[in-house]
Amino acid sequence: MGGAPLVADSVSAAFDNRVVLQEVSLTLQPGTLTALVGANGAGKSTLLHLLQGQLSPTGGQVLCDGVPVQMCRDQVVLMPQRGRIDWSFPITVREFVDLGSVPSRSYGCCDRDAALQRVGLTALAGRRLDALSGGQQQRALLARAIVQPSRVLLLDEPCAAIDPPSRAQLLRLMRQLADAGQTLLVSSHDWGSALDQYDRVIVLDGRVLADGSPDQIRHRLGDQLDPGAHCHD
Amino acid sequence: MTELDLWLLPLLMALLVGVLCPVTGTLLVTQRRVLQANLISHAVLPGVAVAVALGVDPAIGGVLSGLLGSLLAERLQRGQSAGQEAVINTVLAGFLGLGVLLIPLLNLRLDLEGLLFGDLLIVDWSDLTRVLVAAAAMALLLLTRYRQLVFLGVDPEGAQASGLPVRSLQLLQALVTSMVIVSAMAAVGVILVIGLLCAPVLPGLRRVGSLRAAMVQSACVGLAVSAIGFLLAVPLNLPPGPLIGVVCMALLCLPKLKLAP
Repeated sequence: MGGAPLVADSVSAAFDNRVVLQEVSLTLQPGTLTALVGANGAGKSTLLHLLQGQLSPTGGQVLCDGVPVQMCRDQVVLMPQRGRIDWSFPITVREFVDLGSVPSRSYGCCDRDAALQRVGLTALAGRRLDALSGGQQQRALLARAIVQPSRVLLLDEPCAAIDPPSRAQLLRLMRQLADAGQTLLVSSHDWGSALDQYDRVIVLDGRVLADGSPDQIRHRLGDQLDPGAHCHD
Repeated sequence: MTELDLWLLPLLMALLVGVLCPVTGTLLVTQRRVLQANLISHAVLPGVAVAVALGVDPAIGGVLSGLLGSLLAERLQRGQSAGQEAVINTVLAGFLGLGVLLIPLLNLRLDLEGLLFGDLLIVDWSDLTRVLVAAAAMALLLLTRYRQLVFLGVDPEGAQASGLPVRSLQLLQALVTSMVIVSAMAAVGVILVIGLLCAPVLPGLRRVGSLRAAMVQSACVGLAVSAIGFLLAVPLNLPPGPLIGVVCMALLCLPKLKLAP
């Protein structure tokens, strides 16, 4: 893992003549866990889709390894929001996680069984996906994401609608992945007082409002930070 | 026509279609593309008419016309965040109307009722061959693209983001769906085929643990539905196609009746 970072250089996006993102610049360093926080409609999901290369910016560019991200999309994996998945599809957890190896026909940090073990779903591997709780489903999504060989992992609201213990477990997993060298960017519309476990926090509202360590963000935005639940109790 | 052709061929055709349609339908139901299949089934009619007029195999015209209808609807849907179903149904009606108009306009001798509702009792070996070709195409699709189709069903955006060739996969699936629908035309007709595509899939879909298992189960149910429909048609002296359609509906109603106090 490691190597050149993912860079957004003055990226803008608009839909139906409505500007969603305006000249957003950021650089993701290898082996870091970064929180992307902002209210609903702040442009977080749009930014993640731009960083993954699914969307093309109306201005600026996204570079991965110094080349346009569209040329190395396999290096950037996006874990979608829960609502994007058809949970009623007839599939077991094992088969679902194994889908991560479909595009490249190879494995990332670990193979299917190791990924299941890492997220604590080995015992539930034979269950149908819709028989899992919300937190377990998020962990299954994460397992599928880490099965894919990539340098950068973008997680779109992984902590939405799950209970506090599941959030804490997800955060531990993300921390472990970052410590192992993976680059993670985690979006949330909640921004709690306990963002300390992130290396860096980026506050977004159509543009970057603040970017720094959790302490720096707290000092800078202090009163504006609501007690929330960004992967924390 | 021998005694064998008279009874065995229609029965064989009913059973084969009874297996092939639900297998195809399992993909469509789990990917939520049933409406597209319904559009394809109605859109084959103009192609069949033109093919007959040109002296070409009607199946070829039907498959091309079905695909064309599907592509046109997809094109018209772009930029329509709401009203996508309305677009599909409008194109469906347009193609069906065009097909009905082409028959007198081209002065064709076509059994419209047979095309719409099927006529198992007059099927021949060429109809059976079409079903076998469509079955081979479906088998090939599943053997070579099964995991991609699963990915597409459970997480279409994720499949796209992962770099899977989603567009060509959907086109390939639409082509095979058209082939299956056209091949089933002689048995149940373009209107009734949707029942056989959908109904056998539903009863066990919540219980199975994989798309493969769902296909096997729906194929077994479809086989039973077709056999019951056909075997009831003989003593009742009724057309098998519509009867199979009614049995499909009964299949969905039965569990509800059982649960009633």
